[in-house]
Amino acid sequence: MRKTTYLLVIAFMFSSSILLIGQSSDEEIAIKLLTTKTQFEAGLGINLQFSTSNNSQPILYCSNSYGTILIEPSIENKTLNYKIPENIANRSGLINWKLLANDNTLSGKFYINPKQVANTMETYIGPPSIEAGGLDYTMLVVIPTDIYGNALKDSTEVEVKHQFLSSEYRNMVRMHNLIAYKNLYSETKTGRMLVSSETLGKNSKEFVIDVQPAIPTNFNISFKQNHNYADGNQITTLLSSIIRDKNGNIVSDGTLVDFFITNRDKNILRTSAPTINGIAMAKTVHPDYEDIWKIKAYIEGMAESDIITINFRQIIKGYDVVFSNNNRTITVGPLQSFMDQMIPDGLQIKLHIYKDDTKIDMILKESFEGFTTFKLNPNEIPSDSYNMMIEVAKIEKTFKHVKL
Amino acid sequence: MKSINRKIIRGILFLSYIIIISFVTYGLSALFGYLNTGADRSTMLHTEIKKVEQFLPKILWNANENEGRPMDEQTLSSIENDYLDAWYVKHCAYQTNTTTGIEDYYTKNARKNLYNIINKNIETGTTIRSTTLQHHPKLEFFSEDGHMVVITDKDVMEYKRVYKDKTLLLETKDLSTYKIIMLLEDGFWRIRHIVKTSNHDFKPNYKFISKEHIDIKGINYYPQASPWEVFGKKFDIDTITKDFKLIKETGLSSIRIFVPYESFGKANVDKDKLNKLTQVMDAAEAENLKVVLTLFDFYGDYSILNWTLNQRHAETIVSKLKDHNALLAWDIKNEPNLDFESRGKDLVLAWLRNTIDLVKSIDPTHPVTIGWSDIESAPLLKDKVDIITFHYYEDLNNLEKKYLDLKQDIPNKPIAITEFGVSSYKGLWNPFGKTEQDQADYYKQAQDIFSKNNMHYMSWTLYDFTEIPNEVTGMLPWRKTPQKYYGFINAQGVKKEAFRYIYNP
Repeated sequence: MRKTTYLLVIAFMFSSSILLIGQSSDEEIAIKLLTTKTQFEAGLGINLQFSTSNNSQPILYCSNSYGTILIEPSIENKTLNYKIPENIANRSGLINWKLLANDNTLSGKFYINPKQVANTMETYIGPPSIEAGGLDYTMLVVIPTDIYGNALKDSTEVEVKHQFLSSEYRNMVRMHNLIAYKNLYSETKTGRMLVSSETLGKNSKEFVIDVQPAIPTNFNISFKQNHNYADGNQITTLLSSIIRDKNGNIVSDGTLVDFFITNRDKNILRTSAPTINGIAMAKTVHPDYEDIWKIKAYIEGMAESDIITINFRQIIKGYDVVFSNNNRTITVGPLQSFMDQMIPDGLQIKLHIYKDDTKIDMILKESFEGFTTFKLNPNEIPSDSYNMMIEVAKIEKTFKHVKL
Repeated sequence: MKSINRKIIRGILFLSYIIIISFVTYGLSALFGYLNTGADRSTMLHTEIKKVEQFLPKILWNANENEGRPMDEQTLSSIENDYLDAWYVKHCAYQTNTTTGIEDYYTKNARKNLYNIINKNIETGTTIRSTTLQHHPKLEFFSEDGHMVVITDKDVMEYKRVYKDKTLLLETKDLSTYKIIMLLEDGFWRIRHIVKTSNHDFKPNYKFISKEHIDIKGINYYPQASPWEVFGKKFDIDTITKDFKLIKETGLSSIRIFVPYESFGKANVDKDKLNKLTQVMDAAEAENLKVVLTLFDFYGDYSILNWTLNQRHAETIVSKLKDHNALLAWDIKNEPNLDFESRGKDLVLAWLRNTIDLVKSIDPTHPVTIGWSDIESAPLLKDKVDIITFHYYEDLNNLEKKYLDLKQDIPNKPIAITEFGVSSYKGLWNPFGKTEQDQADYYKQAQDIFSKNNMHYMSWTLYDFTEIPNEVTGMLPWRKTPQKYYGFINAQGVKKEAFRYIYNP
């Protein structure tokens, strides 16, 4: 009897322990997902619910576009509630989660859609200036975002609006890969293009694109001068015609025009000027001797002008040279211009001194009130016999065996 | 006499004056020199290049044309740089819950999202150690002004370990697809939007290699003159070829050699060393020897942010040698279980699993194994490797039983002992050590056990060595000295008694 009682007790304990084991493993699997929704909208709050048959409160692993967090549950009537924190629930994109229960089997994912109400129009436009002519374009990229900063859904319609001169345009584009974009081409005229966009009733601010003239085309040049005497004093103005691009737009102010002047000795002089209202105006001083200038202008790498010729007439016909003070003082003049007036100050006069065909010195002076005086210092040029040559406006006078 | 003394005194005074003056001058000039040091002017603009490679996930660009402006190589490479840096600073930020570097790679609006998560994680005591091992970006769009790109990064392979209050709660490896908008802001490409669009757990899919092909009767090999430094300055292919001939003549059919991680150049594998390794493999092939190649020798840092570097290292070597006829198997790491204590068992195992995944993905035809340092560790990761290998330096009398137990435990995979042996050192540092005769007896007994149970084996090692690097056994002479006498051939080149039992047909 006793034996059977023991046996019964043991059998009972054994079976109950088996039951207990069975129960506990059943309990772990007994956590079940109650939330059936897999699509949520940003900002509406998300609460992931599980039914549970025991009091264990496993942690929820939750990973979104930016990172990973762990969430502790609250338990209520055998329901586990996992409230997804706002900064995760407001962010669009896929969320994958895992319930860190002992068996570690429950996992899933859900998608948070952006709230389809445009709050800001993140707009990127560039380049800010384009070339007229219909080939160049600027690109408008719009990311309409909801109040939480999520880009709206793909295929959301975005209206791109732009105005140019007297025309206004509206084009519909759809969002794709989080953005909507449109290329806006220039027309033949220059001007300012105003651009904006609209999504779901939300309008962006206005953006301005400058449509600049295209590259210049070839042009003509001309000159203006008071007289054509080579007096080394007057100024000749070189002018371009109005320079335009291929569509007839006047080129941008400040386009640099280089005037290249080739004289009779094939030397090249250069002057340059930027354009204002399409016209470049450069100035150059007259030569001081008879010369012929051929002038051609360039806008480097883009356009060039025709060639013009300017003739300069000689003004000084002749002059006197007077030696005094043991030939150590040499006076040149009077130097007279085309109406026999004294030439303006500053004409260059050169004195070359030779000793037996060897040049020993060259003295350069400028005229003053029609005369120039050279004073030869005995310390520099010792007493001897020299040959001297005076040069004024390419007119040369030679004096042999001048004794100092 | 007096005047001479005076002259001497004068001379001494004069000399000491010169010495004092020169000291003072030296002192002043040193002070002046010191005051003139400081930042080099050329560093003012921060133009110097200080690039340390710390994050090199595998990145494969989808070559299809993008919308918008055509992309040029230089811009793409700077986008790639900044994009990967953005991931790297994110991994660092979540590991430490600090915000260092975030500002440089995320725009003002995008940063907030990261900061929110970091704050949340500080609050809950969560840290996340993660890395991304693979990226497959496709350039979707490049704006006309060159300031914005849209990228779809497909199947980003991300490995994560989630800790709460320093306890590991979860380990995941998954593939996610992201759509990303980046903006060029003051010279940096910064992330403006990230949207995750898909995610699924990563499941490696590779076949295990069947056991029929595997027959291992071999020896661990280092040249006598350069143990543990085979591929350094002392590299001599003639010696190695001669040694291989000798090994072949004994009847052995395979060798086990080691690729040191650091001296092979870490992530950027030294081409010269890789060539030397290929030469060794060629020499083995010429003698019809098969090679077990042990990777990551002398590597001990398993930290997750280092994994991408490790993977580039393994990738280069495995890609280069995967079709080599001499290759028998990849030994992923020598005795990794010795790092369990210092680096954490689960971290080391995670590293091994991921490295096996990588090696298998590049070379699906050769078996992989891990050379555990003892038979007790051999069942670890038995489901990941093709061959179970372990090292046995314990009492031979227990070997048979332990082996049979292990075989019963893992009946479906070949098991090999890839290191065993005994030192024939008996002397000052180990007066109770074994003699050369004891060593011979040891090998005789071992061979008997092997042939009785038809076991795979590789002995340690061909030669006695005269120099052992400190990294191997440490500096202590009672550890270092016995290590010199494990060979079948002594330092003078004479075959020891044990040589008779190097192979048993």
